[in-house]
Order: sequence, then structure tokens, then C-alpha cells
Amino acid sequence: MAMFSQNPVLNGPNYSFAEVPKDAVDGLREHRFNPYTDNGGSTLAIAGADFAIMAGDTRLTSGYSINTRYAPKVFKIGGTTSSQDDANLLLSVVGYAADGEALQERLDAICKMYRYRHGKPMSVSACAKRLSTIMYQKRFFPYYVYAILGGLDEDGRGAVYSYDPVGSFEREQCRAGGAAASLIMPFLDNQVNFKNQYVPGTGVGHELKERERLPLPRNEVEVLVKDAFDSAVERHIEVGDGLQIMIITKDGIEEKVLPLKRD
Amino acid sequence: MSSPFSINGGACVAMVGKDCVAIACDLRLGLQALTVSNNFPKIFQYGDVFLGLTGLATDVSTVSDLFRYKVNMYRLREERNIAPSTFANLVSSSLYERRFGPYFVSPVVAGLDPKSGRPFICGFDSIGCIDFAKDFIVSGTASEQLFGMCESLWEPDLGPDDLFETISQALLSAVDRDALSGWGAHVYIVEKDKVTKRLLKGRQD
Amino acid sequence: MADRYSFSLTTFSPSGKLVQIEYALNAVNQGVTALGIKATNGIVLATEKKSSSPLSDPSSLSKISLITPNIGMVYAGMGPDYRVLVDRARKVSHTGYKRIYNEYPPTRILVQDVAREMQEATQSGGVRPYGVSLLVAGWDEGVMPDVESAVQGGGEVEGEKKPSGKTGGILKGGPMLYQVDPSGAYYPWKATAIGKSATTAKTFLEKRYTEGLELEDAVHIALLTLKETIEGEMNGDSIEIGIVGPPADHLLGVEGVHGATGPRFRKLSPQEIEDYLTNL
Repeated sequence: MAMFSQNPVLNGPNYSFAEVPKDAVDGLREHRFNPYTDNGGSTLAIAGADFAIMAGDTRLTSGYSINTRYAPKVFKIGGTTSSQDDANLLLSVVGYAADGEALQERLDAICKMYRYRHGKPMSVSACAKRLSTIMYQKRFFPYYVYAILGGLDEDGRGAVYSYDPVGSFEREQCRAGGAAASLIMPFLDNQVNFKNQYVPGTGVGHELKERERLPLPRNEVEVLVKDAFDSAVERHIEVGDGLQIMIITKDGIEEKVLPLKRD
Repeated sequence: MSSPFSINGGACVAMVGKDCVAIACDLRLGLQALTVSNNFPKIFQYGDVFLGLTGLATDVSTVSDLFRYKVNMYRLREERNIAPSTFANLVSSSLYERRFGPYFVSPVVAGLDPKSGRPFICGFDSIGCIDFAKDFIVSGTASEQLFGMCESLWEPDLGPDDLFETISQALLSAVDRDALSGWGAHVYIVEKDKVTKRLLKGRQD
Repeated sequence: MADRYSFSLTTFSPSGKLVQIEYALNAVNQGVTALGIKATNGIVLATEKKSSSPLSDPSSLSKISLITPNIGMVYAGMGPDYRVLVDRARKVSHTGYKRIYNEYPPTRILVQDVAREMQEATQSGGVRPYGVSLLVAGWDEGVMPDVESAVQGGGEVEGEKKPSGKTGGILKGGPMLYQVDPSGAYYPWKATAIGKSATTAKTFLEKRYTEGLELEDAVHIALLTLKETIEGEMNGDSIEIGIVGPPADHLLGVEGVHGATGPRFRKLSPQEIEDYLTNL
């Protein structure tokens, strides 16, 4: 089956409790369960000159089932209250939804503690390192989560930090995560960082000049995000239903939810 | 990793334009992570029809030779070139003949219908199920990346020049995110009575 | 002496003949006459349905057969052998073509396949040649002869699609008429006849045939030719006519299916034949 499918979903079930207890030859029964489930979905973050945008679809799946059409993946982090009105950070999580939620709650609690003790919100760079530590502490039973942290840095510029499940992280201009990351990431390379784009008539071979990389204006980035998700929805069954977008600027965080195809 | 489809790596994409089609492939041949050759084209021309083959390199060579033989025999027997749609059905039936011991290839066919001049593209799985697409076909280890690129860059009724730019950007950006594909590319733009072949350098890593 | 060479099919006689094939042709020349005429927009195949007894039921006898939706066939000679060839032709048009290319074979390809079958019966052990000659009529998709000649004649029309020439020698479309003999030899014809009165019929056809014939005229000429050679009465039940003409969408069985075209080959009903006969 796996040989012809080339489709990860078909390459074997990976749901929790999917394995039934097996009777062994000696009459002993072996019990086991898989603590992880892939809940699908995709996330995306782009840093602008004076803003950062984080987006994620709102579908939550297990296997071929859609568990809900509205499960947010992008969270405000580090506000003074539960309303998160004065939050200065954004976190997106994709992968195993339960771990994602646990991680989000833990990071939020830590940021709140920091705020109460220091009397100021945590900077993105500090939070970025702290998140890495949180994740690495569970090096041998990781949060099965691809996280992206967003905010504004000390100079007011958009900042995006991306993580692997065990806390390895990097600051980037943009990043796609989750089920459709492989579909969206090359598109971002091409449209945000202008990879493979050259200025016509500037020479041959190494003479050829790359198209100058300028931070994109906010309206263009928003269109890019929507286009990226519309494409991903078209070709990935685990992505769809709704598109949650959060934009952080010096004036605070703006949130909107746009519809995506639900088929 | 040990899937026969991803031992050698490679990518191929075909697109429909206005009265034209484009088909492009990368040039890498590898053995898992080791790159063996940077000049292994995966597109083959049979008369007016183009066949792209990704997958197990030995099957790419075998299958391309098999279809060269079959198309040449067709031309001798029927005194005419094979039409893209006819060739697509030939590919399908030939692959299904090996239903229980398949060639590990994911073929792509592109061409213009000799009678109507209409663009024709299609793709197959390794046992010959045809995917007749109106827009684009992708195949190979970078197929997910290509799906993302094509779905966002492609638009209907692109002229030959715009189609070339679109398919080139789609392929280059896609293979740059796939470790098993890349090392330059071949791009064919097929118009009525004219075929343009271009070689793209691309990233050499 | 001659008997020494007449039994083994695969043995040449000293004069260079395979006499069994000649005997097969003799069987053909005793058969009921069949004829075919090619028109610009179609082909007609016609033959007599001879009943040996007044008790026989001619409506259940069929000598003209559909092979593919666009190709039909008629014979002169041995009926049972013909039935075998019809089966083989129908089978090979699928196994050797439709199942490979998902389209039906062009007429010449089918004729070659049937001719190969007949030739193999002249060179294999333990078999005898087929005692039939065939007339195969079909319509091929492709460039119509009149369009081709117009382009070659330099009559260039702006914006009109021309055959690119890249498509190879013959992308010839339109009506095709072939005769196949027991030896496996095949000939393309504008009009011809096989069987008992073939010579008489061909002489008649030579006089009547003109270039640029339309299908309706061809049916007319076919009936006139048949009338010259027929032995019994001529009516809707005593003769058989098959035509290759425009797509008969009413025979499709369905309506409104996009891209579906009806068969070009069809047999005329006794009533249709009667209508032609009254206008003769």
C-alpha cells in the first residue's frame, strides 16, 4: 500500500490507542498506546518592517476525520489578564493539538509570571530563548509541535522565530509550518525573499543581479498569506475551514478570521 | 527513504498555456543523499509528444526506451506521428500491463493535439491511472513543493513567454526546498510548429 | 503429378504457385456477389441474400457485419469462414488497438490485421486458407482528401489550419474501401466487386463510377449493379446494404452525452432498402 500511495496519511495509522492489545504466544497480553496524534493543519508567519503576521487554518483532523472546523492555532501570549488585551507576543502551534495547547498555556503562564515580577512584558528575543528551553526540557518526550513565535523586536521591527519539536530555533523573515509547510514554504521563498528572481539584462551567469529584497507592505503580505492558504487548501486535505490571521504592530494585535474552503 | 520512488530523486512539471504547453524537469541523479550526476534529464521527446519520467532512475531509462520503441513502431505502422492523447493511453495500458510488478515511475505527458492544436497534459501513477488535468501536472520527490508553487503561480491562458517564466519559477523554487531534486533544469515550451528548449542553471547544491 | 503439390499447403508447386490458395479463390468465385463503392462522403457495401429454400427466414441471416463503430465488412465465399474472420477482426480491433490506445483502429490497420490472419492460414501447418474474399469499408478521422488537395494546390486561406506536414506521410482521413483475398493480399479500391459475377459487376461499375460521387448516388449505383447480377427477386429482404456515412447519433442509445458520436457504419433496414428500390 505504502509503496504506491506516496501519501503519508496512508502509510499506516498513527492515532492514539489505534493499536489493539495483541495476544502473545505465551498467553500474556501486550498493551501499548501511542501518545501522539497528528492533528494536521498548517501555520504561516511573515515578518514585515514594522509588523509581524501570523496565520493558521482552523481545521482539526485525525486521520481522515475532521474533529472540528474551528480550533485556533494562533495565540496571544503574555498579557496581564486572561483577555490578553495587552499581549505583546504571538505563538502559533501545529502538530499534536493537545501538546500545542499545553505548550501555549505554559509559555503564557511563564510570560505572565515574568511580567508580574519584572513589571514589564517579555521581549521577543527573551521569550524566544525561553520557549526553546521549555521545549528542550522535554527532549525525550517532546511536545509534538512545530511552533512559531512572533512579535516586534527592540527596534520595533517584525520578528519571527521558528522551532522544531525539541526547541531548536532560528529568527527568520518568514516560515510555514505543519501539514502544508512543504507546499507553502517554496512559495514564500519565491514571493517574500524573491528567491530565483533576477533583474533582467544585468548580465549572464554570476553577473546576473538578484532582485533586491525589500520588506513587503502589510496589505501585500496579507494577500500573500491568503493566497498561500487558498493554494494549500486546494491540495491538502488536512487544511481548510477557516483562516485565522493575527497582525502585531506597535498599536497592538489585530485578529481576523477569514473563510477557507470546507471540502 | 527506501521507497524506490525516492532513491534517485527528481522532479517534473507540465503546464497548460494559451495555445501552448510547457514541460520542465530537474537534472539531478542521486543515490539517497549522494549526488551522482548533475546532467540526468527526465524529459523525452517522441515526435510531437513529450514524456517526463521521475522515480527510480533505472526504470526512467528503461521506460523511456520502451516508449521510444513503441512510438517508432506506431509511426512505421500508421505512417503518422502519435497524438498526445493516444500516447497517454499507450502509456496507461503499458504501465497497467505491469500491474503486479510495476515500473517505479510517475510519468507526465505534454503536447499539442495535432488536429485541433489544443494543449494536452496528463499525469499517471506507476500503474497507469491517468490524471487528466486542465491546469498543471507535477511529479517526483518535489511534488508537494510543486503543488504549492503551481497552485499559487499558475493562471489560465498564459502566453508562451509568461508560461516559461511561471513554470521556471515554480520548478526552481520547488526543487530548492527538496534535497533530492535540483542541480539545474530543462524547460520545453511547445507551440504550434515551434518547440523551445531552455536550460536553467539553478542552485548547484 | 499435380496432386503431389495440392495437399500440403506449405509446398510450392514447381510453377511457383500455392495451389491451395488458388482453390480458395475458386471457392470465392463461386460465392454470392458482393460489391462496394466509395463516395466522397461515405461508402456503400451491398450483397445478395440468397435463400436456398422458400422456407428459410432471411431476416435472421446477416452477411454484412459491423467490426468497429466506423468499420463494416462483407464477403464472398464460405459463410462459416467469414464468421470466424469477423470474430477475429472484432477481437483484434480491441486487443490489438482499443485496449492499448483507447481508440478504434484506422481502416488500414484493421485490414492489415485481418490480412495477417488470412496470410498465416497459408503458411501454417494443419490449417487451410480461408475460403473468402472480404470488402472492408471504414471511415478514418484525419485530413479529408479534398482539404489536403486544396492545401497542396496552393489555395491558401488566411487563418485556416493546415496539416503541418510534421504529422508524417499520411494523416489521411475520410472513407476507405479495401478488398482482402485468401492469400492475405489486400487492395484499396474506389469501387469493386467480388464473387460469382465480380467481372460483370466490375465492368458495370467502371461505366457508372464517377469521381466526386455522393453517398446517395453510390447506393443508387450499388442497387443498379446488383440488379444486373442478381438471380432472384430484388426487395428489402433479398438484399443487404451497409453504409459508412455521417455519424448515426440515433444509434448511440443515449442523448446529451458531451463528446459522444454515433457509429458511422450501419446497415440499412429492409424498409430503407425498399425506399431506395422504389426510387430506382
